[in-house]
Amino acid sequence: MSVGAAEIVPGAGAGLSFLDADGGIAARSPLQLFWRRFRQDRIAMASLGFIAFVVVLALAAPLVIKLLGLPGPNVENPNLTNAFGSPLGPSAAHPFGVDQLGEDVMSRVIYGTRVSLEVGILGTAIATLIGLAIGVTGGYYRGWVDTLLARLIDVVLSIPILLLGLGLGAACAVRGCVKGVIQPGLGSIIFIIALANWTYVARIVRGLVLSLREREFVTASRSLGASNARIMFREILPNLVAPLIVYSSLLIPANILFEAALSFLGVGIRPPTASWGQMIAQATPVFTTAWWYMTFPGIALLLTVLAFNLLGDGLQDALNPRTAR
Amino acid sequence: MIRTARAGVTVAFVGALALALALVLGACGSSSSSSVSSSGLKTPKTESPTAGKRGGTLTVLNHGDFENLDPGVAYFLNDYEMVYATQRPLFSYEPNTFSKQTPDMASGPAEISADGKTVTVHIRHGVHFSPPVNREVTSADVAYAFDRGANPNVANPYIQSYFSSVEGAEKASGGPIPGITTPDRYTIVFHLTEPKGQLVADALALPLSAPVPEEYAKKYDAKKPSEYGNYQVATGPYMLKADSEGKVLGIGYQPGKSATLVRNPNWSPSADFRPAYLDEIDIKIGGDTNVIGRQVLEGSHEVQNDTPAASIVQLAYEKFRSQLQISPGAGDHYIAVNNKKGPFSNVDVRKAFWAGLDRTAMNKARGGSLVTDVQTHFLYPEIPGFEDAGGLVGPKVDYNEHPEGDMAIAEKYMKLAGYPSGKYTGTNTLEIVGSTGDPAPEDAEIANNTLRSLGFKTKLSLVDHSVMYAKYCGVPAEEIDVCPNVAWGADFGDGQTVLDPTFNGKSIIPSGNNNWGQVNDPTINAAMEKAELILGSEARAKAWAAIDRELVAEAVAIPYDWDKTPSVESKDVAGVGDLWNSGAWDYSFTSLK
Repeated sequence: MSVGAAEIVPGAGAGLSFLDADGGIAARSPLQLFWRRFRQDRIAMASLGFIAFVVVLALAAPLVIKLLGLPGPNVENPNLTNAFGSPLGPSAAHPFGVDQLGEDVMSRVIYGTRVSLEVGILGTAIATLIGLAIGVTGGYYRGWVDTLLARLIDVVLSIPILLLGLGLGAACAVRGCVKGVIQPGLGSIIFIIALANWTYVARIVRGLVLSLREREFVTASRSLGASNARIMFREILPNLVAPLIVYSSLLIPANILFEAALSFLGVGIRPPTASWGQMIAQATPVFTTAWWYMTFPGIALLLTVLAFNLLGDGLQDALNPRTAR
Repeated sequence: MIRTARAGVTVAFVGALALALALVLGACGSSSSSSVSSSGLKTPKTESPTAGKRGGTLTVLNHGDFENLDPGVAYFLNDYEMVYATQRPLFSYEPNTFSKQTPDMASGPAEISADGKTVTVHIRHGVHFSPPVNREVTSADVAYAFDRGANPNVANPYIQSYFSSVEGAEKASGGPIPGITTPDRYTIVFHLTEPKGQLVADALALPLSAPVPEEYAKKYDAKKPSEYGNYQVATGPYMLKADSEGKVLGIGYQPGKSATLVRNPNWSPSADFRPAYLDEIDIKIGGDTNVIGRQVLEGSHEVQNDTPAASIVQLAYEKFRSQLQISPGAGDHYIAVNNKKGPFSNVDVRKAFWAGLDRTAMNKARGGSLVTDVQTHFLYPEIPGFEDAGGLVGPKVDYNEHPEGDMAIAEKYMKLAGYPSGKYTGTNTLEIVGSTGDPAPEDAEIANNTLRSLGFKTKLSLVDHSVMYAKYCGVPAEEIDVCPNVAWGADFGDGQTVLDPTFNGKSIIPSGNNNWGQVNDPTINAAMEKAELILGSEARAKAWAAIDRELVAEAVAIPYDWDKTPSVESKDVAGVGDLWNSGAWDYSFTSLK
């Protein structure tokens, strides 16, 4: 089935609402069909709403903290720690409390959304593009090209990614790696995430392409003299969009967690940039006296990851109704 | 709708969990203590070392393991606790002093010749090694301790720093050192190539001078690395529990698990200044420092060996104050800035950074005034010359007078440095390398923010503490601009051991460098060369104090913290800490109530 052909679908339980204004039968595009199914999933809609909220927070972080009357994320105030250097807890002026430097935790949690989304979305986008290119190439051409790429995938999959992340993070910590191409902090984390995840995308795509290349619409296109490039881009690629959207939406939260883990282990985002994982790590030694410092970034991380996962489930159900539970 | 319902439950559960967590933990709350005072708290100076009750077993809870228990190798605080209870160096210290040596294996003070090139020490009669050696200690055993220290299989970490002036020591590799002679069984003489007698005499309080029986140890020292630590014999009041062959490994010391000290049957109290009240010391290794701290405070006959976590110090101060000891003079932390290259090669930029840094905030991040004093110069409390160099208040220069930082003064110095706006306008991006271990990142961030306030662009990187030294701050070729987390602790109470390795130009080496800021001022170097040769403690103290004032005048580094070490004990322990060893517990003076 090639995406693009409109379907004629009666509205479920909607009487004659599928008829258009002229009394004819209304044709719905795949997008309309998807949206119709998706919006019926309240959990997915709530997740989408939460993610939209997080995106707005990230984009408008300076404005948001100004509106809330909070200090900037890196504004230190030693007067907000007690005589032992322990941070003071939530108050009207600092609803999430402060950290050991007297920095406002709420402000840092809000700014932390930027790092999480940047890493989650950029890392996923790069991994998806690489995986897509390699998966399509291997699946379409088969033979020795496929064998070579499949072995490459096997090799990369055998690399312990967390250890690689720790190693690269440490090795690139000060001066960067590969003559400065991989810079410490955000750059190296996105590199590691892309390196770690393209293989999964490539495997899924390869499998799909192996099946798609044998379908009638591809054979028809080939018999009409279409080039390989045209078949790949115009016939096969559109059919990969739905699974890629679903898989990417599930990859994003995994990558957000990976960034948090690397930052927690001290090889992620560089201070003073706020990152949830880094905040949780810094809060660990003072948890018994400053619970808020770990709790709020922890909740932000949990809710964001949960929202992306639930959204991914919803997308899966809406784009591929046969898999719906 | 099964899926929707389940997901709804999940979300509700997560929300409820978060709320419950917040409420429950909220009840734990943080203390609102607004001020603390160390007055009335125990320190090694306030504890009586001779009023203990004899007998009993002390349990020591220790998160970390020992580094090395061989007296020829031991160089760390924990190791010293063990070594000074089991071994008798020529000199050591009473718990309440940092610089006043007490003859230990020696029978009296070291005799330094008028030209400073000969040091003679007489040792006690009637001191015996523990089983299985059992015989009396002689001066040849002390000489062998030095010989083996130069043996690559033992590789003493400080022999070249303090004893390189002994004739033949620089080239020694395990055989007899020509400059160490033993004219009789109870006399040892150190012949020096330079008049550094005072430094050598002071360094005889290090554990390298503890006697080692050659005929027993030689077969262990022939192995690489030496295994003598696993078969060691004692001269002090305690010994590691051992079998009849002297083996302690697996018996009195189980790496990563435990160590057991028992009384040395050959030790005579009449020939020692230690009271040695305890019958046994059981050291348990491992566990979380927070858990250990709570267990000790609420338990019986226990002490915590590691520095307790900040939360435990707060708990002890608020609820178990009589069980908290604070030891001053436990070293310092400062910010090393690159004096050789970049913006900090300009003395006025260094002064601007000093003036602008909020040192009270730096110290609050380290636990506040209970465990820190604002550092105002480089010799630290208890080191001879400290008062002469300015005491706690420090030299009266405007960039030093505002511990909370003063940006107006900072901008004044930036203008003097050639930046008319009072802010840095150059193109350099400062490379800052700090450490990841708490609370170092907080200090690094404060330093970073201060520099940004002065107009600098910065690149802050945090790496493991040992990597910070080994790959960046201790390697001049890396040209790191700012190292905000460097620290130093003296080997013994002499200004030279604080200032010479860290600020003398001749100390700069390609790797493992301790002069992190590459300070290489010819005037200061010359003053240090001169001070090294001075004989007499008072004269040396004055000379090194003068050098300290010069270091402040040149703002060679940015000081912020004089450390004070907290320690906790159970309510029925009369713990005595060692001032000279950062307040670490002294098993030979501690007793049970």
